[in-house]
Amino acid sequence: MTTTMTSPMSSSHAPASTGGGLARKQNFLTGVLGGVLFAFIAWALSHHFLDNSSRTYSDLVAVFTGIGWMFGFWLGIGALNAPFAWLIGSDQNRADQLYYAGENQGKVRYWKYCTDHKVVGVQYIIMTMVLLGAGGILAMAIRTELIVPGNHFVNQQVYNGFVAMHGMLMILALIVAVAGPWANFVLPIMCGARDMAFPRLNALSLWTLVSAAALLLTTLAVGSLPVGWVVLAPITDQAGVGMDFFAMAILVFTVSTTVAGVNTICTVMTMRTKGMTLNRLPIFVWGSMIAAALGLYAFPYFFLVETLQILDRTESTSFFVASGGGQGWLQANLFWLMGHPEVYVILLPAIAALFEIASVMSRKPVFSYRTAIAGMAALAGLSILVWAHHMFTTGWAPTLGGPFMVTTELISIPTGVFFLVLVGTLWRGNIWMKLPTVWLFGFIANFIIGGITGIYLSDIPIDNELHGTMFVTAHFHYVFVGSVLFGAIAALAFWYPKVTGRFLDEKVGRISFWLTFIGVQVTFLSMFISGLKGMPRRYSSYSFLFEHTNFLTTVGAYTIMAGMLTLLGAVITSWNKGVPSGPNPWHANSLEWMVPTPPPLENFDVLPVITSDPYNYGEEKVNS
Amino acid sequence: MSHVETHSETHGHDEGHHEPPEVVDGRQRMAVWIFILGDVITLSALLFTYLYLRGLNVHGHWMSMWGYQGKTYAQYENIAGSSAGLPAPTLIHVKPMSASFSWLVTMVTVLSAAVVVMAERVLRATKNAKTFALLSGLATIVAIVSIALSVVQLHHIPAIFSANNDSQVMAYTAYSSVMMIAIGSAMVHVGILAFLGLGLTIRAYRGVLTGEKWYQARLVRIFWVWVALSAIIVSAVTTTINTIH
Repeated sequence: MTTTMTSPMSSSHAPASTGGGLARKQNFLTGVLGGVLFAFIAWALSHHFLDNSSRTYSDLVAVFTGIGWMFGFWLGIGALNAPFAWLIGSDQNRADQLYYAGENQGKVRYWKYCTDHKVVGVQYIIMTMVLLGAGGILAMAIRTELIVPGNHFVNQQVYNGFVAMHGMLMILALIVAVAGPWANFVLPIMCGARDMAFPRLNALSLWTLVSAAALLLTTLAVGSLPVGWVVLAPITDQAGVGMDFFAMAILVFTVSTTVAGVNTICTVMTMRTKGMTLNRLPIFVWGSMIAAALGLYAFPYFFLVETLQILDRTESTSFFVASGGGQGWLQANLFWLMGHPEVYVILLPAIAALFEIASVMSRKPVFSYRTAIAGMAALAGLSILVWAHHMFTTGWAPTLGGPFMVTTELISIPTGVFFLVLVGTLWRGNIWMKLPTVWLFGFIANFIIGGITGIYLSDIPIDNELHGTMFVTAHFHYVFVGSVLFGAIAALAFWYPKVTGRFLDEKVGRISFWLTFIGVQVTFLSMFISGLKGMPRRYSSYSFLFEHTNFLTTVGAYTIMAGMLTLLGAVITSWNKGVPSGPNPWHANSLEWMVPTPPPLENFDVLPVITSDPYNYGEEKVNS
Repeated sequence: MSHVETHSETHGHDEGHHEPPEVVDGRQRMAVWIFILGDVITLSALLFTYLYLRGLNVHGHWMSMWGYQGKTYAQYENIAGSSAGLPAPTLIHVKPMSASFSWLVTMVTVLSAAVVVMAERVLRATKNAKTFALLSGLATIVAIVSIALSVVQLHHIPAIFSANNDSQVMAYTAYSSVMMIAIGSAMVHVGILAFLGLGLTIRAYRGVLTGEKWYQARLVRIFWVWVALSAIIVSAVTTTINTIH
């Protein structure tokens, strides 16, 4: 294997920068200051000019304050520089581009509106950890409340707010957990590109997410969201202004995912290097692209439904209010039209990363590469036809129950294909049992449980019994925590050396794995039992009938938290003190491992030409 | 076995890795089309909302609501605050919004799109950036007129002073609600067009966009035509399928 792409970046003859002054001083801090300042101005103006006797007064003040925050943050961080520069015909020159790409700026660039895809990838890692951390703290609060029957620490309202915020923070975290860091850091290099197709949009997707996360966390400070993360209407009418911040956070988040999705697809479709044909694309690239396309389909529904929620609350419209001709089922339909595809927007990048890891760590090609791609495409296609299985018990369109049951059960076919591909890839391989592989096996075990219990729930008779119970909670936690999070950690362990030049601490990483793996089994198997015994979701107190299983669940949850903190410790300490890894520690064939570590700005001094697929380990063995 | 070879067609870093304009244009066009696809989903969801609520006509309230007719907000507040209190609400039916005005707004948007199409053709045919600047400026002004007309439309959405749940407020029936989001959505889209049109005008005037570098004019034109098309679709649906017979 050869590569000569090692020259460092040079810009000694680049034209002088045109973007000096204030634009060069913008960073995260100026973004926060701008956001707070504009939020305060918007709050003061709306407070002054709006009629405070109106029923919608507090919601309108919240919305204007939120808009002020977003506009101020984007202005302060520099997100609006390029659009206004374009407007006045003042395009960036080469020096400006290099500046915004963070050339020669050291670690400061990680706190700026940086257009380098690798910086954006690292920023996404940090963002994911922040979201997981916030959601995890709430999970611990929830489980602490539930450790024994009765209300102890919080009342039902606060508890429901914790549940809603935990759910939404974790969903956002998992949507970006793999696609955020790795579809940014490694995907362009895997394609043989010097950056993403639209570097400024790339930075925009990250910083809009940051501004959305701030709005979401604000919800906790203004009365939270005691209506569950699906924010079903019309119960949302009873929620306080936290609902307004939540809805605005979702609007901004959908902008972020749309921009990121367009960027990912355009990068893959138009920026592949010579010889990188579609059937030579690393499978992670395929998975990221299919997930991005699915996100582009799904998130407009989320955007619309939360816009309608805001209008119902601030303008007294009647989208979901029956007395004005509205209908709560409209909200449920629009939400789940997004909600189920979203599961696969989360899952597909993780699965695709695991295909990649399985191939490298077993020194074998991805088993049935084309079937794997077809499986991902089929899963994406089917996922848009199953939304109503979330509404089996709501009374909406009972005659459609049968068809939706069938489409949901059909999903098990492409899901089965994934198992086949993973196991087929590992089968009789020379498996290198390093940290990414350990998490990969954890994924396989957990995903079997999460997947099979999903098949039960897709059957209407069983769903009628188990809907709204802890069984459902356990099922989707096996999918999200046991599967997606394990996949995300496997991806982190796998590509960590490419980011830092060091291995993620193997020993501490394994301790983290066992704590988390055992914790997941204890937590969610006992939760299954609670659900089978009839324990409902979203209650802060419960019958003594569920006492023992809930105690076990809480102990398991603490164990997971211990595992996650251990992993966090490993990530932090290994960053500077880990064992040096060199540029290609796994002896992999895909392009990200052919460039130096850390990869230079614009990745390649000389663009590579691809002559075969990246999984030719078998051929390598035969030839050697 | 190596699957990677080096590419001989490289550029020095000092000049930057510039790609040919047509390559960049192709990439940007793909992005515009994908954004439009996302917009198609949003529009579909909006029309689904409209047709779903009209089809359900929940409690017969698609275009009606219990409330108080023909009162200004001040009059209503006086009645609510008087010792007699509010009289019993009556069922008030609202009428569909003016179809001719809806089509007027749509046609203004379509006109702005036609001007942009013409502007791009003129630029590509004559390479005359000054004429393009004039035409794209005109399209921008027409788009702003469309926004102004939409504001008038929003002002005329039928509202009812209602006794809704625990409060007395001005409220909107399902029909009025969907019209509000449809008109608001159109305003946001045309607002983006006005921004883009103004940008093209300034850029052409300053010589950034020229007869040789006309690609951005095409990108903007594609989106502009889509917005005009979506306005036609929304008008066609909301002016023909509105009342319940």
